[in-house]
Amino acid sequence: MREWVIKADHLKKEYSSTSQRTVALKEIDIEIKKSEFVSFMGPSGAGKTTFLNLIGCLDKPTSGRLDILGYDPIKLNEEKLSRVRVEKIGFVFEDFFLLSSLNALENVQLPLIFAKNYSDTERPKNLLKRVGLGHRLTHYPNELSGGELQRVAVARALANNPEILLADEPTGNLDSRNAQELFNLFRDLNRKEGVTIVVATHNVKLGFSADRVVHLQDGKIEKDERLAQKGGR
Amino acid sequence: MKFLVLAYKNLKRRKSRSFLTIGGVAVAVAVLVCLLGFNAGYQKALTSDVDKMGYQVVVTAKGCPYEAATMILNGEAGLKFIDEDIYKQITSDPDIDKITPLLAQLAYDPEKMEGKGGFTNYLGIEESYMPLKPNVEIIKGEWFSANDANEAILGYDAAESEKKSIGDKISIPGKDITLTIVGVFNRTGSQEDGTVFLPLKTTQRIFDIEGKLTGIGIKLKQIEKISEFEDRLYPIASIQVISMSQVKGTILNLVNSAKILIMSVAFIAIFVAIIGVINTILMSVFERTQEIGIMKAIGASRLDIFQLIWMETLIVCTLGGIFGSVIAIFGGNLVEILVRKVMPYTPGGKLLLITPELLLFSFLGVIIVGIISGVYPAFKAASMRPIEVIRSGE
Repeated sequence: MREWVIKADHLKKEYSSTSQRTVALKEIDIEIKKSEFVSFMGPSGAGKTTFLNLIGCLDKPTSGRLDILGYDPIKLNEEKLSRVRVEKIGFVFEDFFLLSSLNALENVQLPLIFAKNYSDTERPKNLLKRVGLGHRLTHYPNELSGGELQRVAVARALANNPEILLADEPTGNLDSRNAQELFNLFRDLNRKEGVTIVVATHNVKLGFSADRVVHLQDGKIEKDERLAQKGGR
Repeated sequence: MKFLVLAYKNLKRRKSRSFLTIGGVAVAVAVLVCLLGFNAGYQKALTSDVDKMGYQVVVTAKGCPYEAATMILNGEAGLKFIDEDIYKQITSDPDIDKITPLLAQLAYDPEKMEGKGGFTNYLGIEESYMPLKPNVEIIKGEWFSANDANEAILGYDAAESEKKSIGDKISIPGKDITLTIVGVFNRTGSQEDGTVFLPLKTTQRIFDIEGKLTGIGIKLKQIEKISEFEDRLYPIASIQVISMSQVKGTILNLVNSAKILIMSVAFIAIFVAIIGVINTILMSVFERTQEIGIMKAIGASRLDIFQLIWMETLIVCTLGGIFGSVIAIFGGNLVEILVRKVMPYTPGGKLLLITPELLLFSFLGVIIVGIISGVYPAFKAASMRPIEVIRSGE
C-alpha cells in the first residue's frame, strides 16, 4: 500500500511558443501523503498553478515522472484523464468558475452528471448544507456573494467524493473574513473527512494554517516545511 | 438534471438568438411542407377535375387550345363560336361514343355576391349532356320540358347562393326574360356547381346567337384512337380538337417547372437555415470557451461535451420542425388563397394536401439535418482544452 497520493520525480514543464520557451517548472520532487493539507506559496510565476494543473490532470508534464493515486497521467489518454478528474479530483478556482445558467444546486449536480451518477440525488443538497448554503439552493450565481460562490464551488468540487481537493488561489477574490471562513472549511473537511487538500495561495496567513507549506521560487522548491498546528491531530 | 436539461438551459440563456435560429428552421420546414403538399394537392385536384368533366375531347373554335381548355375547365367553354352544322357533321364519326353540343355564355350580374357584382355562367345544353356526365344527376325537380322552354336547372352552388328552389323565377341581367327553375343538379365539386343550365335553343335565342355553339364535348369509344379522330377533323378549318388528357399533362408540366423553381428556393432556404444553425451553435461554443473548459476541468469528457452541444443543435432543429409544421398546417390556407389569386386556372377542392406522412417526412428530414449540422460545432467544442481556460483565468 502506497503512502502517498501524489508523487513527483524530476517533474519538468515547459511551455513553448513560436518565439520562446518558458520553463515553468524546473525540477520538482515531492510526495504528498493521504489526508495531508498542503499549501504551495510563492510569488506569481513561481509555478504554483502549473504544478496544480499537472497534478489535476489538466496538463501533461514535459519530462519527469508523476503518479496520481497510482495513475500515470503521462500515459493516460484524454478519456481516461477525464475519468480520473471526475472521480478522484475536485477543483476550486480563484474565479469560482460556476456556470451562470445553472443555480447553486445544479452547479453542484454537474460533476455527478459527468460521472454518470444519476442515483445520488441527495448528495448535492447535503454538500451545500455542509458548506452552509442550505438556504441558497435555487439561487443563481449572480444572486450570490463572492464568499457564497466559492463555497458553492467547494461543494461542486466535492460532488463525486474525490480523494484530492485542489484549490488554485481560492481566496484571491474574497475579503479576509470570507477567506478565513473558506480555510476553516478546508481545515474541517481535511480533519473530519480526511480529504487530501492542496492549495496554491499568496495569502501568507492562510497559507501557514496548513499542515505543510511548500515554497516555490522560479519553478523550484525552495523550502518545504511541516507545521505543528495548534489543536492538530 | 440530465444533458437535455442542460442543453435546454444553454439555449434559453440566449433567448432571442435561439428563437431566431429556430424561426429560420421553422420557415424552411414550412416552405418545404407547403410546396410538397401543394404539388400533391394540385395534381390530385386537377386530375379529379378533368375526370369529372366527362369529356375526353372538346371541339372548339380555333384559337389558343390552352386558353380554351382553361375556360372549359372553368365552365365557360370558349370565346368564339362554331356553327351548329359542324356538330351535325361530326356526330356520325365512327369513333365517337357520346357527343353533346355546348353553348356557354357569361352575364354580369350587379346583384351577385350580396351586391358586389359578379359574372354568372350560363351553359346551354341538350339531353345528350347527361350521358357524358356520369356523376351529374338531378337531385331536385326534373329535366327541361322542351328544348326551347324558358326554364333553367341550377348547379348545386348556384341554387344554394341564390336561395332558389323549384318553381322560383330567375331573370338574366340585361335580358328581357324570366326563367322558371325546374331542377337542381347535385354537387360535383367542379366549377359547374355555380353554373345556370338552360336548354340549348333557349340560350341561343336569349343571347341572340342562333345556330351557334361554343364547344362540343366528346367521349370516344377508345381514347387511343384520338389521333386518327383528330386527323379526320383536321380539314374543318374553323375548329380545333383539344384532348383533355393532353391539356392536363401540359398544365401539370407548367406547374412542375414552376415547382422545380420553387423547390430550389426551398432547398436554398433549408441550406441557409442549416448554415444559420451551425453559425449560432458555433458562436455560442466560442462564447462559452471558458464554460466548456470549466466543465472539462471538473470532469466532463470529450464525449460529454460533444453530446451536450449536439443536443443543443437537435433541440433547435426539433423545435424548428415542430413550429414549421404548425405554420404549414395553419399558414397553408393563406398560401392556397394566394395561389388561387395568381394562377390562371386552379382546380376545385383543396390545393394543399398536407398529410401526416408529409409532415413526418419533413420532420425526419430536419432531424437528420440537425444531426449532421451539429457534428462540426460539437466536435469543435469537444476538442477545446481545459488548460487554456484555466490559464486565461490566472
